[in-house]
Amino acid sequence: MSDNSKKWFSLNLNSKTKQSTGSCGCGSTTGGCGSHNNTVEVEQKKDGFEQVFDVKMDRRTAFKQLTASLMIGAGAVSTSCSVIAGDETKEKSQIDWEEQFKGNYKLMTDEEKNATVNRLVRSYQIRTGKTLNMSSKNAEEDVLFGYAFNISKCQGYMDCVSACVEENNQDRNSQMQYIRIHEMKDGNGFNFNEADDNYYHEVPAEGHFYMGTQCFHCDNPPCVEVCPVQATWREDDGLVVVDYDWCVGCRYCMAACPYDGRRFNWGKPEVPEEDVNKNQHYLGNRLRKKGVMEKCTFCIQRSRAGKNPACVDACPTGARVFGNLLDPNSTIRWVLENKKVFRLKEDLGTEPKFWYFMD
Amino acid sequence: MTKHYMLKILVCAVLFSLVFVSCNGHKEEYHSVMERIEAESEDYHGVTLSSEKYLEELKSIEITEGDFTFLIPERKSQIKSYACTECHTKSLNELQDSNIGKKAHWDISIVHANENIMNCATCHNINDMDNLKSLTNKRIDFNNSYNLCSQCHTKQFNDWKGGAHGKNIGGWAPPRAALTCVNCHNPHEPHFESRWPARFNTQKVKERE
Repeated sequence: MSDNSKKWFSLNLNSKTKQSTGSCGCGSTTGGCGSHNNTVEVEQKKDGFEQVFDVKMDRRTAFKQLTASLMIGAGAVSTSCSVIAGDETKEKSQIDWEEQFKGNYKLMTDEEKNATVNRLVRSYQIRTGKTLNMSSKNAEEDVLFGYAFNISKCQGYMDCVSACVEENNQDRNSQMQYIRIHEMKDGNGFNFNEADDNYYHEVPAEGHFYMGTQCFHCDNPPCVEVCPVQATWREDDGLVVVDYDWCVGCRYCMAACPYDGRRFNWGKPEVPEEDVNKNQHYLGNRLRKKGVMEKCTFCIQRSRAGKNPACVDACPTGARVFGNLLDPNSTIRWVLENKKVFRLKEDLGTEPKFWYFMD
Repeated sequence: MTKHYMLKILVCAVLFSLVFVSCNGHKEEYHSVMERIEAESEDYHGVTLSSEKYLEELKSIEITEGDFTFLIPERKSQIKSYACTECHTKSLNELQDSNIGKKAHWDISIVHANENIMNCATCHNINDMDNLKSLTNKRIDFNNSYNLCSQCHTKQFNDWKGGAHGKNIGGWAPPRAALTCVNCHNPHEPHFESRWPARFNTQKVKERE
């Protein structure tokens, strides 16, 4: 990626590949400032650095914004220019700066996605000395992910919950779990008020059935509608994802979700280093921070590689079916076409891509 | 005068319909997700992804049942003491007569239907130990043991072929690979044992106090 097309400002004090700086200091060698704007780029949406600074604002807001950014910037600059600080420290500050001012993942080009992923991997390497494998793979053509859950098969063993936590690096302190298994009395229908989603006794319990809920990846997701900063959206393959670095933690989405599918990091999420799943995706199981939302992504790091989500692989009863809704020969399509299926709160028009069925 | 008037109406109508059509064309909206699936899967070209690399270590065989073709794990190499004739060199009657101490297969108990319906010989052939047999005494290979189960469990068999019963392995991407009956159910005791859940959320208890 050429430095000119960057949507945010770079410090480049300690860049490995030194960029040639023109006389005007805007990164171009020819023409005056502002003359090297391509006409094509004019239509570009404001993003990243520009989104913050290239807007009309009163002095007070401007000062506020500047102070906040300068605090980070000052730290970055001081370490970068410091003679005592080591190369790694400088590189780390450089990364922190770039990460601070990067744009919304949704608007990034593939190069930019790749760049931020590389920065995150490098940053983790500097901090812990361990290497991650992080992907920024986009949605595949002709794919729409769907899920089916057999309520006559689930026995409530919760192997799925364990597999999910291990796969997706959820916070161990608050014991965050994306999946909830509800133990329901036979003959009472779906009565969530009386269901127990935190049982601990031998299962299956006599006279009970079990149903799991998680993010349903609605085709018409209300959580996406309410997000004030567009930090959550529906991808082309139907996955509803969150950019953890763009989320401001307002929890509107949590309130908007009719299925309790979203989780919030009230504290700093912590995973013991040896338990961290190092096979990650930017929109999936990469390590989160305090004050951001997260949720099930149908294990985007697995599903976009052709695998089943961890819960599907872990289920010992085969109650979970996952697949491509657009493939007429897929098993999920067979289930939808041949079994009696239903979805939760269908009348809301959220169009969940998560069906329940019975034998 | 009326001609002009008609012309105006016509132009208006054309303009209006143009706007209407273009609006609809731009909006990629479906009434429901089922409608979307139907519309978008019409020109399905297949995916570039494959789950072949996840199945590399699995020794599998391809089966075709009705309209369905998929992979299942190969079975014979996974049975510890196959082939049976390696031990069963004499006929069963002879073995029973010769008092050779501890019985083999002492750990197998049949908890499958009742004694009126099933015993060992319902599935195993005394005269052909290395193969299974159908209810009508036709030979069934150990690798295709699902053909034996499907004689009674026809509903489960149908669901399994389609993908509603049983478990797919490898991944969602083609080729499809599924576990076969005996990978999950012990044929001698096919029911699932009850047990304790894999985890208990103590934090949830605290939060709800």
